[in-house]
Amino acid sequence: MRLRAWLCLALSSISIASVSSAARPRYGGTLTLDLSGTFNSPEASDLPPILSPLVAETLTRINGRGELEPRLASAWQPEAETKRWRISLRANVFFQDGQPLNAGNVAPGLLDELKKQFENITVLAGGQTLVIQADHALPDLPLQLANPRFAITRKSENNLVIGTGPFRLSGWEPRRRLTLTAFDDYWGGRPYLDSIVVNLASSVSSNADLFDIPFASPRRIVPEGPRIWVSHPRELLALVAASDIQPVILQALAASIDRAPIVNVLAQRQGQAAFGLLPQWLTGYEFLFQTMPDLARARQLAAQIKLTPVTLGYPPGDSFARAVAERVALNAHDAGIAIQPTANQNANLHLVRWPIESADAAAELARIAALLGAADRVNGLEANKPETLYEAERGLLESNRVIPVVHLPLVLGTAHRVHFDGSATADQLTPNLAGCWVDR
Amino acid sequence: MSFRVKTFISIAATVLLAVWAVALVVSTLVTDSFERQDAERTGALVAQFQREFDRRGQDVARRIDAIAASDAVQRIALNLAGPQPDTSRFVDEAYALAHEQSLSFLELVGPDGRIISSAEWPARFGYEESWLKERVDWKSQGVFLKREDVSDGSSLGLVAVRAVPAGEGWLYIAGGVQLDQEFLDALPATPNMRVQLYRAFEPPPPGGGLGSKLAADLIETVRAQPRQLTRTSTAASISAIPLLGRDKQLLAILLVENSRAELAALKRNIQSTAWSVAGAGVLLGLILSFWTASRITHPLRALAGSVRQVAGGDWNTRAVADSKDEIGQLARDFNQMTEQLAQQRDRMIQAERVAAWRELARRLAHELKNPLFPLQITVENLQRARQGGAEQFDEVFRESTSTLLAELDNLKTIIGRFSDFAKMPAPHLEPTDINQAATDTIKVFDAQIHAPGRPQIQVEMHLDNNAGLISADPDQIRRALRNLILNALDAMPNGGTLAIATQNLDGSGRVAIEVADTGQGLTPEECERLFTPYYTTKQHGTGLGLAIVQSVVSDHKGTISVRSQQGHGTTFRIELNR
Repeated sequence: MRLRAWLCLALSSISIASVSSAARPRYGGTLTLDLSGTFNSPEASDLPPILSPLVAETLTRINGRGELEPRLASAWQPEAETKRWRISLRANVFFQDGQPLNAGNVAPGLLDELKKQFENITVLAGGQTLVIQADHALPDLPLQLANPRFAITRKSENNLVIGTGPFRLSGWEPRRRLTLTAFDDYWGGRPYLDSIVVNLASSVSSNADLFDIPFASPRRIVPEGPRIWVSHPRELLALVAASDIQPVILQALAASIDRAPIVNVLAQRQGQAAFGLLPQWLTGYEFLFQTMPDLARARQLAAQIKLTPVTLGYPPGDSFARAVAERVALNAHDAGIAIQPTANQNANLHLVRWPIESADAAAELARIAALLGAADRVNGLEANKPETLYEAERGLLESNRVIPVVHLPLVLGTAHRVHFDGSATADQLTPNLAGCWVDR
Repeated sequence: MSFRVKTFISIAATVLLAVWAVALVVSTLVTDSFERQDAERTGALVAQFQREFDRRGQDVARRIDAIAASDAVQRIALNLAGPQPDTSRFVDEAYALAHEQSLSFLELVGPDGRIISSAEWPARFGYEESWLKERVDWKSQGVFLKREDVSDGSSLGLVAVRAVPAGEGWLYIAGGVQLDQEFLDALPATPNMRVQLYRAFEPPPPGGGLGSKLAADLIETVRAQPRQLTRTSTAASISAIPLLGRDKQLLAILLVENSRAELAALKRNIQSTAWSVAGAGVLLGLILSFWTASRITHPLRALAGSVRQVAGGDWNTRAVADSKDEIGQLARDFNQMTEQLAQQRDRMIQAERVAAWRELARRLAHELKNPLFPLQITVENLQRARQGGAEQFDEVFRESTSTLLAELDNLKTIIGRFSDFAKMPAPHLEPTDINQAATDTIKVFDAQIHAPGRPQIQVEMHLDNNAGLISADPDQIRRALRNLILNALDAMPNGGTLAIATQNLDGSGRVAIEVADTGQGLTPEECERLFTPYYTTKQHGTGLGLAIVQSVVSDHKGTISVRSQQGHGTTFRIELNR
């Protein structure tokens, strides 16, 4: 069972700053969060996973163990062979502008989003009950509703997003700063913090209470054991080939790559060598794909054909990706394959960074397959049958279009005054800042 | 070849030879001078290269020492000396340190010989640099050239190494600067010089690379046997200086190219000047030769014209002899000679005329004397018979009158022959088959040849079917042939072979007719006088036969010749135009 596998891994990978049993949570204070990336709008679907659930919540959610659990929906019931779902909304939930959550103010926005994905679908509202009906079966609808895209939101007069989360959006300077303020009437209880100030596109500095550490810099910024929080690997770094590259070149390249130095040196042991598309904690079978670097075989394969020039594109400005690309090129050079790393995206081999957004292995594999343009290869995945996942993933790997290189976690640096309660870091994917407090 | 052309060629050749010799000498001297300058400049540049090499080497050593003493390196050394060394955190250190010290290359290498951090190729961490583990006192080793691998190929570096204690082992710091174009640009090259660096670990350049095929050939030679070498072409002079690494292996070749464009331009100037001078000389020679030739050859040509006129029979011609030089003297001598020759000719004609008349008189006397003597005897017999009886007189009278008539006929015949010779008419030319003429003529003699009691004469006809028709008077030709055949028959009183042959003389437009006998032959003296009128070797000949033949041949613009050998016969050969 996949859930059992990642449960074991989750327990073994926790490295959070421990919460002293003696420390008692305190209310108040402002948390400064510096993020290296940025986003264009404060829409729930655009916000990073660490912020999105703070503002807007979904009807369901997938927890860190991959289990579907209620959020704004308290219960759901399939009818007519899953063509119709009856969803009961949680009672006593209010939007951040004081409006109560009911089927009437949830249905319009939800229907708009559902129509983007499903055909011939309707949403009927009645009190606290939503009825979602389609002319075809919707077996995974509760799982789909956990996607931040289906977060329940409204718009304020000044066009700011209003959700039901523990913080409301109180300030937005496009691409620079986001300010969140505690929502006192949050149905789950008021958060500890009064506010969170999020600085975007920020260079890493230890002045912030909390900051993400991009993989280009941890070995330089936090050299001597600062408090860091490391998630499960939640990002795939992989080589994706264009169709003009001969499969045998990719086979030779795959055999030449030595992932250990990439993990140990470039990722400072914060990642895991990737042999499958999904990490071991998520599937439990990734070790089956594991291979050792085989330079002799790589050379043999490379010698079979007349090699054409290969350019390896990496995301511009991503120095970690560049370092990995250069190491891959060096390994390839040893095998007799000439690869030129370039920030130019007109390459025939690309080093991509694809996030793993949830603990739903089937959904993540389907998403990766779609990114590879091979969505048809993963049809009929059954979430409760890991063997179907394994076969589908093996099929994707054997397509000779993708070579996994490394799985990377989210690494956060935390100031000493920052504390988390037990629930805040339970899923090991993203810390829940609603369970975070700061010392004075 | 005319005298004018000879004069022109002589003058032109002299001018060209002189100009060529001068141009060659000047060109050689200029080339030597330029080559000396090139050698001096190359030597100065190589010396400067060595000084710059040493200066930069000291600079590199100083910077590596600074890095070895830096906190960052000490931290790494400390980490390596610890119980659980972890150098992964230092993977970027080399880049920062190299940047700080402005070094092109820097590698921090652990005691195991594996790269901890590389500035020039950051991805090479973990790779082995085993050469650093050699037991070498790197401080005393100094700075040396080394091939450095970088991500986009290889480069040439001026490298120093230091070893820093790290626990029980050593942390090696190997770094340096690139020996690049900037380094070469610092050398004091003149505008006509080009300094290039060929890296020996790169593929040999194609013919067009590094300037020229000359450079490529030079590189190949030095690669095969590293030594300083200079090669020269018309475009450039290239010196190759091998640059060796720590283990004396060839790492690079410094190419110093001195352009010979200036020399080539100067040579072109010399050449064009020489051509101009030569052209002017040739033109001058042409004018001079015409002038000289006209000055010299005009009197000569006038003299030659006079000679031709004299040869044509105009003995009154006189050459112009108005100059006092050798040609004038020659003309005067010529005129004197012509006058003397004319006088001698006149005297000879006079003498010949006298001789001819004497010969004619002698011949006439001889010819007439023979029949006159029988006439005299006969008349005397008649006189004596008149004194005898009538019967005896009648008988003598009858005999005498028949004798007289016979001798008178003889006299008529003799006079007729002379008359015929005197009456030789001009030939009436018409197409004449020479073979037919020969055949017809020999038929006339059939009866004579086959007369009873006559010794056997064998007739052989060798007629050339290609002889064909000639333009001639057939009667005169047959007459000439009759005379020759008659002579041949007379020459063979005891029999023999008479051969008549015709022959087409290919290419000359002439036909030959030969009449040969196998008689006694003639002496050379006889051959010389044979065609003289009234000369004969026969007892009863008039000496007119061959004279007639010669007259006919001459009238036909032909030639006649005789060859004879005593005891083996005589052959007459007539050649006639078609």
